[in-house]
Amino acid sequence: MNMTIIAQMAVSGALMGMVYALIAYGFQLTYATSKSINFGQGELVMLSAFFSLTLLNLGAPYWLMVIGGLLFGAAMGLVVERACVRLALEQKSEGWILLTIIFGLLGFSAAENIWGRDDRPFPSPISSDALDFFGISITGLEIAVAVGVLAVMGVIELFKHKTLLGKAFAAVSADRDAAELMGISATKTIMLSYGLSGMVAAMAGILISPITTVGPTMASALILKAFSVAVVAGLDSGFGVVVIGICLGALESLTSFYLGSGWREAPGLLLLILALAVRPNGVFGKANIRKV
Amino acid sequence: MLKRLLLLRGTEIIVLALLACIPLTVSNSYLLGLLTLLTIYGILLIGLDVTVGYLGQVNLAQAAFLGLGAYAAGLSVSLLGFGMMGALGVSLLVGLVLGGVLAFPALRLEGPQFALATLSFSALSTTVLNEWDGLTGGAQGLSLNRPPLFGQTLGASGFYWLCLVILALVWMGMRNLLASQWGRAFEALRDSPIATDAMGVGTFRHKVAGFALGSSLGGLAGGLYAFNFQYLQPQSFTYDLMVILLLGVVLGGRKSLWGAFFGASLIVLLPNLLSNRILFEVISAAGLLLALVAGGRGWMKKTTKPFQALAPVIAMGMLVAGGFMVENTENWRKAIFALMLFSVVVGLPDGIMGFAARYLTKLFRISPSALPPASNLDDVLPLGKSSGGVLLELQALKRYFGGVKAVDGINMKVKKGQVHGLIGPNGSGKSTAVNVISGLYAPTSGEILLGGKPLPRGSLFKVARAGVSRTFQNLQLFGELSALDNVMLALKGAYRVPLPLVLLGFSRAEDRRAKADALALLALAGLADQAGMRAKDLTYGAQRFLEIARALARKPELLILDEPAAGLAHPDVSVLVSIIKSIRERGITIILIEHHMDVVSELCDTVTVIDSGQVIAEGTPDEVKRDPKVIKAYLGVAPDEPVAMPA
Repeated sequence: MNMTIIAQMAVSGALMGMVYALIAYGFQLTYATSKSINFGQGELVMLSAFFSLTLLNLGAPYWLMVIGGLLFGAAMGLVVERACVRLALEQKSEGWILLTIIFGLLGFSAAENIWGRDDRPFPSPISSDALDFFGISITGLEIAVAVGVLAVMGVIELFKHKTLLGKAFAAVSADRDAAELMGISATKTIMLSYGLSGMVAAMAGILISPITTVGPTMASALILKAFSVAVVAGLDSGFGVVVIGICLGALESLTSFYLGSGWREAPGLLLLILALAVRPNGVFGKANIRKV
Repeated sequence: MLKRLLLLRGTEIIVLALLACIPLTVSNSYLLGLLTLLTIYGILLIGLDVTVGYLGQVNLAQAAFLGLGAYAAGLSVSLLGFGMMGALGVSLLVGLVLGGVLAFPALRLEGPQFALATLSFSALSTTVLNEWDGLTGGAQGLSLNRPPLFGQTLGASGFYWLCLVILALVWMGMRNLLASQWGRAFEALRDSPIATDAMGVGTFRHKVAGFALGSSLGGLAGGLYAFNFQYLQPQSFTYDLMVILLLGVVLGGRKSLWGAFFGASLIVLLPNLLSNRILFEVISAAGLLLALVAGGRGWMKKTTKPFQALAPVIAMGMLVAGGFMVENTENWRKAIFALMLFSVVVGLPDGIMGFAARYLTKLFRISPSALPPASNLDDVLPLGKSSGGVLLELQALKRYFGGVKAVDGINMKVKKGQVHGLIGPNGSGKSTAVNVISGLYAPTSGEILLGGKPLPRGSLFKVARAGVSRTFQNLQLFGELSALDNVMLALKGAYRVPLPLVLLGFSRAEDRRAKADALALLALAGLADQAGMRAKDLTYGAQRFLEIARALARKPELLILDEPAAGLAHPDVSVLVSIIKSIRERGITIILIEHHMDVVSELCDTVTVIDSGQVIAEGTPDEVKRDPKVIKAYLGVAPDEPVAMPA
């Protein structure tokens, strides 16, 4: 087999993997503050992408679409937080898993009926012409994905480490009760984390849609991969998700090349189950001690 | 008592008879199809309820097990020429084995991780069914013929009766199982896995068993599904079906066979319900009304928060409004499921059957089943002084957490039949020491000997089985179980009937004996008249005593009481003292961690004082109280002349 083709597959896969990493990063944000994740995050990505596409079709310029899409994502994140997560946590139950699944189902059905079941192209100002790097061709869109993912994660990490609000974030995730005693509102911090997480999901949708097209089924395809990345990397390592995302993307693309595209999701799923069995806290995660 | 039995069993028999008679009187093939599907989904949901209801985990793999069972049955007929029973056996086995295999990684997992593991499993199995087209026919689907049953070809009504018989058998088996120690163990490990292990019950085997059992029922239902439709496609067993199954279990009511049955009827009827416009509007309006009434009542009584009461009303309102606005409800079916499921999860957490059961119990004045007379306590815990000698010995025991030396080389001997006090300032390492002894943590180094033999290290379950029992400083009761069940669960040596016989209902006699023994222990702890109350509804003091009774049910050689008087009111402390005295009379050696010095003085034969993870003094209570090192550890300064210890 030609090495260049293998390298080509691996590199395009890895760039797609960056998007999985971005969605997985959205899980980390909410897990840190509330120990919960949105099982309907894939639908959130899809809904934000559809919403952004509608903005473009209404004649909005590209930069306005990005802002609008991000705001929409943040708003949906807040809805999930209020209607699913907080409601369940108030009852002290694991009900949030069920409720976020339900939210996803509702979103899916709404998208199917409002925007239709077909995949639609998503225009982008960045050219999709291929550039050549040592025999491997990379499109401008793929570079935009990599840059966009790293930029978003970088900005949020900066926010978390350099601002007071960001420190509150770290405080709530370290010890919710102690943070509350120090006058930090855990509820507001959790809302913030869900808002950010929704924004991150919207960004992922805007970045990946020009490459994959937009359709209701993109939700389930993306979320399984993002879950795999988040679990394998661990739910508390921002660096980890990028590494694992890149690896998983490359692995997936090679699998679909050798075994057929129907199998492309299999390695990620297997890795997820294996990771849960061997290292439930992920490759980059920290083990915790049982307390009584 | 008789009335209860009559009403409960009577209803079951009448419904079964009615269901069996329908094909005799009505010859409507559409109706028969619905009924067959109802029995199949009934079996499937009873299986799903084991994980969702009893183990309390969100299980997203049941649809996959249905599919795998269906394909296994279909292929064993078309490739291997199996008969009906053989094929159904194969599908059951496939569910059991794959469920067991999946349970191993899923074992240590809780909540979201468990849901993720099952979600990946179902996505993976859909991929395999789709892509392994040499075997499964892939997306083209797999056609098969219904095989004969004992040489007889089954028509539509014959097959329906077969399904009904299997449902009845599954129903009886599950009822027996869930009423036995197995059912208690499933619920216990949902409430507190740590205590389940510490009571020697074993989370490991019960979680695997529960999950494998539920999955095997999924597989069995899959076999019937295959022979009902005689055509299989991988797309039938995806995430969508899974959500509908969850809707069935949650809406019907968790932890209830009737709930599963009701949920199954709902799933079967849903397509009809959605296609008939008027029926849909009536039902959604009824849902809105129910949400309004239930929410309003909860809000007035302040038992629910405003948004909690409002959310189901909004969801149902959307359903009603949608019913008028949308052209084709069929297209919106997922959204409709979502809204219904949302309202039920938020507004009616016990499901419709949970709600109805409470109402019906009141209406018919069904009393809870009567308790047998308590056993004689001397038969449960024989009286007797154990002779001297050392029971427990710690040799240079160490446990470090990173750089923190919580326990730093403790040497200690506990004599048989004594109450051995373990005291020390907060953070001195007492609790860590008993956590290491009882197996919650493995020691970093050092030896623990029980009766001269090394005690298992780092396993609560194995240490419990070796004869050490404990209570917890932060209560670890099984909150949803009754006080009686809490004690029965831990009862040592009471359950010997093997699983197959339990399913057939042969465990009732031993369960009755266990109940009587457990009542005797409850009486010892002064809780005889609160046996039927849920543990989480007991007063704080009663909860502490219940933990002691539960630990005694292990009939331990060594009982570790970790701050039993913490937070107790003064009258309760004297009750505690008398309970501990009567335990000592029965020759059980006790390690008592305590801060109340009067309790320690009154009860303990020997006291060991720990500070900074090391033993600083040992002797009788009076000796250590006067020890300058002890006083310094507590007060921070060495006084010129001995002062009394703070109580």
